[in-house]
Amino acid sequence: MDKIVEVKNFRMTFGNKTVIKDLSFDVKKGEIFGLLGSNGSGKTTTLRALLGFYEPTSGELLINGKKYDPEDTSVTVGYLPEERGLYRKESVIDTMIYFGELKGLKNPREWSMKYLKRVKLEDKANLKLEKLSGGQQQKIQLGITIMNEPKLLILDEPTKGFDPVNRRLLMHIIDELHQKGSAIIMITHYMDEVEKLCDRAILLKDGVARAYGKISDIKKEFGGKSLDQIFVEVYGGEDEE
Amino acid sequence: MKNSPIKTVFKFETIRQLKKPSFWVAVLLMPVLFGVMFLISFVAGSENADTTPHLAEDTVIAITDKAGVLPKDNPFNKYDSEETGVEAVKKGEADLFFYIPKDFLETKKAQFYHISEGLEIFNYDGNALKMILSQYAKLKVDELDAIVLAGEYEINDNKLTATGEPSNALGKAIVPGVILVVYFVFMVLFGSRLLMTVVEEKENRISEMILTNISSKHLIIGKILSMLTLGVIQVLVMVIPMILLLAFNWNNPAISSIVSIIELDPATIAVNVVLFVASIALFAAANTMVGVVVPTARDASQYIGPIVVASVFPLYFMQAFMATEPGLIVHFLTYFPLSAPVALMLRSTFGTLTPVELAIGLVEIIIFAVIILRITIKLFQKNAINFEVVKFKQLFKR
Repeated sequence: MDKIVEVKNFRMTFGNKTVIKDLSFDVKKGEIFGLLGSNGSGKTTTLRALLGFYEPTSGELLINGKKYDPEDTSVTVGYLPEERGLYRKESVIDTMIYFGELKGLKNPREWSMKYLKRVKLEDKANLKLEKLSGGQQQKIQLGITIMNEPKLLILDEPTKGFDPVNRRLLMHIIDELHQKGSAIIMITHYMDEVEKLCDRAILLKDGVARAYGKISDIKKEFGGKSLDQIFVEVYGGEDEE
Repeated sequence: MKNSPIKTVFKFETIRQLKKPSFWVAVLLMPVLFGVMFLISFVAGSENADTTPHLAEDTVIAITDKAGVLPKDNPFNKYDSEETGVEAVKKGEADLFFYIPKDFLETKKAQFYHISEGLEIFNYDGNALKMILSQYAKLKVDELDAIVLAGEYEINDNKLTATGEPSNALGKAIVPGVILVVYFVFMVLFGSRLLMTVVEEKENRISEMILTNISSKHLIIGKILSMLTLGVIQVLVMVIPMILLLAFNWNNPAISSIVSIIELDPATIAVNVVLFVASIALFAAANTMVGVVVPTARDASQYIGPIVVASVFPLYFMQAFMATEPGLIVHFLTYFPLSAPVALMLRSTFGTLTPVELAIGLVEIIIFAVIILRITIKLFQKNAINFEVVKFKQLFKR
């Protein structure tokens, strides 16, 4: 089976409001997949339902052919959520080791120190997380997400709040994981990132797929426009925020 | 191969609590407070116990007896009137002067004059008069009457059961009662800490990251076990110094009089231990649920209050629980889920719990603990990204 994620006829209703309407798509093993759309289009809701935080009103959301179970060792998942936080009163290294052990790493301390050195935070290892800046905390969260080299990496706006230097570093880390065979689902509002990194994408509006497929096919479908232009065309230049 | 997730959570939660200075302040504060209270009561007790006057050999005592209590030729009869006696005290001719008025028999009041030496809270020199009067009174009656009048004898209380066996209800209740006290200590120490640690994931917006790596069931069980261990550590830190204190004061009459009546009743002790374990499970489940349904620790306080009040409610009806025939309120509290743990332990301690009532109560506690824990685990997963208080009907939603 070459699909790591399958979403079939997914429908999600909160009270009287239907936020996702019969959505279907899949993500292949080893590809980088862009989940695109304006705020409130249903991207995060889809990811949360995929990971079992929401019970879908109808339809199926599968990872490796099954409903996601965090303790199923047949597939490893790393998730960097939109709603981010850490144990603020704990030290950087203790938090990373904790997550490393939960993810089954053999030597989480060694991995963590290597990662901290790479993101230039090795001198912060014993500091409490609350002492770190927002950007530094985000790097720690990313480290925690990728520490077990997951087969499926889900990133909800990973570059939000990053300066260009750190954004480039993050892109490099994502690319490395991709090279090692991880499938990556990425929510982002930066269309240049999508064009540069993603193999395929889906563009959502009001819980419905407006475009889906290879990046080149999507562009062809919209008369050779750039993703940025396609985004503006689908949303009619409106600002939904 | 992953480590056991429960073990990982247990280790992380336990070590980080043990590393917190606030944990040790809370742990040590209680024994220190107990120690200070014990010391104060010990000092006050020993002071109170010894009310005999401590007089120097050359202390001059004078008594003017207008009521005729003492024989006229007593050696203390030095002054004719109250005024002359007081003058003698002022001049330093007499150290202690007592005046027994003519109407002493009616008023039962005598006057005591001496030069004050400050606050003199523990000055019992005035009791010198009682000792003198008592000695003279004994001379007027025979030895037996003297013992009877002075009440200088003991009454041995030989309680019997309805079947005529020797009864030691108080002695039997001491150890089961201690188990109940330990349960209260656990409730106070363990409940709030468990609540905080459960609500922490949401408060720090970390729920999604953690629940992608571990099931809510394993996370909650790991947390509960960790908090239980910390509770045990805290209880041991409190109990060990008390045991040492007892061991070093084994010959103290106050301690030995209590120890001598203790009777170990294995059945009652076993019942209270089983009830203790089941009750902790129920209390843990209830606290965890509160932690799950609220978004912040601050919100939790308004929900945890009623649980604690309901848990300790049987104590307000202690008299009713001590009665040999349990009344309606006792029966109600025995079967109301939140008050059942304390009610059952109290009744077991006082020997009024029947085996049938115990079985029903125990099963009820276990069933409620399991149901609440199952709902809580499901809610923790589904409510991980809800940052509002969960509505009541959501608790039972599939």
